[in-house]
Amino acid sequence: MVVQLLVTGIALGSMYGLVALGYHITWVTSRTMNFSQGHAVMAGAVVAFAFYVGLGWPLWAAVLATLVILAVLGIGLERVAVRPFFRVASPAWLLSTIACGIIAENVAMLTFGKDARAFPSALTQKPILVGGAGFYAQELLIPVVGLLLMGAVQFFYHRTAYGKQLKAVAYNPEAAGLMGIHIPRAVMCAYGLSALLAGIAGVLLAPVLNVAATMGTIIGLKAFAVAIIGGLNSAPGIMVAGLGYGLVESFVAGYLSTGAREIIGFALVILVLVVRPWGLLGSRPARRV
Amino acid sequence: MRRITLLLLVLTIGCVLPVASRAGEPIKIGLTAAVSGGSAASGEAIKKGLQIAMDEINAKGLLGGRKLELVIRDDEGNPAKGVTIARELVEREKAVAIFGGLHTTVALAQVPVWHELRTPYMGVWAAGTEITRNGKSPNFVFRVSANDDYVDKFLVRYATDTLKKSKPGLLLENTAWGQSNEAGLNKYLGPKNIKPVGTEKFNWNDPDMSPQLLRLKNAGADHVILVGNAPEAAQVVKSRAKIGWEIPMVSHWGVSGGRFAELTGDLSDGVVFFQTYSFFGKQNERGQYVLKALKDKYGVKGPEEIIAPVGVANAYDGLHLVAVAIEQAGATDGVKLRDALENLKAEHKGLIKTYKRPFTPDQHDALTDEDYVLVVWKGGQIVPVAMK
Repeated sequence: MVVQLLVTGIALGSMYGLVALGYHITWVTSRTMNFSQGHAVMAGAVVAFAFYVGLGWPLWAAVLATLVILAVLGIGLERVAVRPFFRVASPAWLLSTIACGIIAENVAMLTFGKDARAFPSALTQKPILVGGAGFYAQELLIPVVGLLLMGAVQFFYHRTAYGKQLKAVAYNPEAAGLMGIHIPRAVMCAYGLSALLAGIAGVLLAPVLNVAATMGTIIGLKAFAVAIIGGLNSAPGIMVAGLGYGLVESFVAGYLSTGAREIIGFALVILVLVVRPWGLLGSRPARRV
Repeated sequence: MRRITLLLLVLTIGCVLPVASRAGEPIKIGLTAAVSGGSAASGEAIKKGLQIAMDEINAKGLLGGRKLELVIRDDEGNPAKGVTIARELVEREKAVAIFGGLHTTVALAQVPVWHELRTPYMGVWAAGTEITRNGKSPNFVFRVSANDDYVDKFLVRYATDTLKKSKPGLLLENTAWGQSNEAGLNKYLGPKNIKPVGTEKFNWNDPDMSPQLLRLKNAGADHVILVGNAPEAAQVVKSRAKIGWEIPMVSHWGVSGGRFAELTGDLSDGVVFFQTYSFFGKQNERGQYVLKALKDKYGVKGPEEIIAPVGVANAYDGLHLVAVAIEQAGATDGVKLRDALENLKAEHKGLIKTYKRPFTPDQHDALTDEDYVLVVWKGGQIVPVAMK
């Protein structure tokens, strides 16, 4: 039982972490984020389904097309729902991104349909059983890709010049602008990357969660909780928090009850907000006097 | 002055009404169901069943040549919306009988409206026990569908008498529907001196059910009784395979729709559940007719392409029963129609069964556990199971 709960928790947790990285990417650049990151994941899954199952494209082509479309959607989202508010330092992006998510969900319902559909994957046909515990190969792929992407994001922001530029925008947009960084382009780029990540998450989660217009809401919400717990400006923090959150969920459901799962999970968020508002591994913001 | 205006108004309406209901006018039948959102497929299925029956009835005409006309309103599965629609269908559209959809919550909210407006309601999907057993007298609510109470009796009887199992693990949706079935299952397990070894819940869109299943497994369950809809039931079946637990699974009818087979592949093999009707296997005369009509009218090639078949079958029989009642009452007045439904004299050869006085003052469910068909998923198809 312990092994199975461990495996389940890691699989779930890495999903949350993977989705939560999307919040991190835009946050470190612009101190804004797409509150509908879950819906972006849904869009990734639905678009991939349309190419792969609907049009019968080979998987690699379908994934490539999905990532391109998602990046474009992310850039569009920034233009429409973030830039007008970012410019005047208004927090209205919060509502406008939620609105875009609701629109996306309803567009998906109209075009894709209302039923959940299966995303065929060779990796979810038969579970692998090891010592009384089982998992689907796809569930193993998610943490691996999650950690790789975390590493990539970390490398991009800390080791590349352009990544550093993006980060600089968040610290002080005015100074960054004066140093020759094109701020709107930087923010746009972050949103494109974030949506791209959501596309990858969508393709990876689809075979496990099935594709449905409503699949984004819960996963987006839990990923947000994970991002808060881990620290919005720390990619490793988010992955660690994701795994931790998944494990807590799985063990609470296994040993206490399913009903207690959400209560304890979200109570943790409040606890972290009280004790360490900047997150487990996030950096404490410098106080301006 | 205002009183006189009011009086004039009443008089005018009084004069106009008899004219409006003259012979030759269509008789309006209302439908309140979810035709958008996650349960849209159920509303579509009901619509098809009603339309096929209506074409048949209209070929002959009712009450000397009057035709039926369908008025559809989308309640979106929202009880508040359902109440507004109920009034609109009766007061504005002048529908004489109303059909209802999948959501028990909507159907329950509408019950007082039917009684206030004295309009008969025919439920053809939602299975909540209190919809028909609502404590009203005279009762305006009828149903040609499952009733949770009979379902629970049916599932328990199959598990204990046919499978000879005595350690049920209950796995239920964390909603009012799950809760009412928890009570129902315990009601029928009790007299057999059986107590569930565990009762586990899951939420909508839960991605993984292995913790719940593990708890039931560790508690020593020898079969699982499942109450949930297709997307969640699919995750249950996938998680069951993951923890490698070969266990008989008996389910409420949620697994019949929503592409359960596509979502689970071979993993759904052996999940036993019930339907009010199965279009698979040998068909009676009506069955052949409905299959042909589905093909001609909607391009449905065979039983495997009928999405939400119970909606089609229940609605088809339901409308025929209403038509029989209209003929017997000789009128479309709500009270007379209700009385006729409760005392149907003619025997009606329907799709699901032959109805002999299907409704009485104490029985507003035309179908009981005796009429349910036990079926099982096999290779992505629903196959009937012979019940011993």
